[in-house]
Amino acid sequence: MSKVVEITDQNFEEEVLKSELPTEVDFWAPWCGPCMMVSPIYDTLAEEYENFKFCKINVDENPETATKYQIMSIPMQMFFADGEKVDELLGAVPEQMIRSKVQEIMQRFPTDEKGRLKSILSSWIEHNKQDGEKLSKWMQKAQEIKNDSIYNSLLKTTSEMEKINERLSQLLGEL
Amino acid sequence: MEKLVIAGSGPAGLTAAIYSARANLSPLIFEGPGPGGQLTVSHEVENYPGLEQPISGMELMDRFRKQAERFGARFDSGVVENVSKGNDILKVQAGYKIVETRALIIATGAEARRLPIPSEKKFYGKGVSGCATCDGFFFKDKKVAVVGGGNTAVQDAVFLTRFASKVTVVHRREYLRADPVEVQKAKMNSKIEWMIPWVVEEILGKDRVTGAKLKNPESGEMFQLECDGIFVAIGHEPKTEVFKDVVETDEKGFIIVQFGGTRTSTDGVFACGNCCDQEYKQAVVAAGQGCMAAMEVERYLGIKE
Repeated sequence: MSKVVEITDQNFEEEVLKSELPTEVDFWAPWCGPCMMVSPIYDTLAEEYENFKFCKINVDENPETATKYQIMSIPMQMFFADGEKVDELLGAVPEQMIRSKVQEIMQRFPTDEKGRLKSILSSWIEHNKQDGEKLSKWMQKAQEIKNDSIYNSLLKTTSEMEKINERLSQLLGEL
Repeated sequence: MEKLVIAGSGPAGLTAAIYSARANLSPLIFEGPGPGGQLTVSHEVENYPGLEQPISGMELMDRFRKQAERFGARFDSGVVENVSKGNDILKVQAGYKIVETRALIIATGAEARRLPIPSEKKFYGKGVSGCATCDGFFFKDKKVAVVGGGNTAVQDAVFLTRFASKVTVVHRREYLRADPVEVQKAKMNSKIEWMIPWVVEEILGKDRVTGAKLKNPESGEMFQLECDGIFVAIGHEPKTEVFKDVVETDEKGFIIVQFGGTRTSTDGVFACGNCCDQEYKQAVVAAGQGCMAAMEVERYLGIKE
């Protein structure tokens, strides 16, 4: 059971960027009809979800944060995790849509230790795969220009990385 | 089993709620995606009877809602996604909820039409807006354009002069549909410029709007307008997609109701407000029709029992 936290330009960093939990920020203003109409949805969700933080910031009184995130239209909901903006929802959207977004973000950014480790490992594997693709492109180029020394060192790096990824996937499976 | 479900929570839906709740029908209202309806984006309502001083559309709709609650109307934030009919029972689905009801009032209203160009979608929320009251604030001392020639467009233009340094109204026809009194207010405002008849061909910018490419439909001439914001107010279309299998609609999507009443082509289903009104589109008309719908439901259920 928690409530929507009213935040300001001054404590945005503390409350949102340094938050331990994935956090939703509702950018609103008292003269915005649709904002007033969706805000009760966030009150309900805040009471329901324990491992998610819900905040609201009045853009009229806190122009700095609104400018920083280039807000040009409200209601705007931004989602933050690990100190970064990770997603957004624009406009007065139905409750069901907000719920599925919150759930999706909770899955992407789990708060329990095992879950966090899993997400770190899988993003690591993903990164390695992308790097692997880049490496193979360079290998092709090295082959085309017949540069054996570069080709061989690329080959070595690739096979080492494949081994690392195998080990990482194994770890992920064990978790 | 419900006696009455109402889809929509604008002036039509909430008036139907007030009347039917007072008649002890204990209606269940699915508020839909924009609780309070289109009026909630009006910063000032001047012409609703009984309001000596103008109030915001949001406050007016809040009063409607509280009045309905006082008589026992029940509210659900769901959006009706499907309706089916079997014998005398209607099944209404909203999200994971399925409700059986004897009668249904459709009061889902209309929604703002968007510009039919791909760049509008790309820049939505990045300079393109459908709500001047919500977003005008973000354009202090900037140049903006308003697209449209109806009341909303002209009122938006006047409202936006509070923030913007210059407001250009872009309208595709020579003549403005807006009320003469509104046009006069706008014509007297020195911050407003007029691009008539011009159409928006493309919205320009990289990450956010920096201008618009306009075309004169008569001469074929092109013009590049510099602006930071584009407010689209080119009319509305009825939100009736999910009801098309249950009730008859016309070619524009408006629900067809019996002349002078709210009965639709299906027994037990009634419609009121902007989802069936293409003529007046006024809150007071929608409210009046909401009242009619509630009374017709009362009569319909009375005969059935």
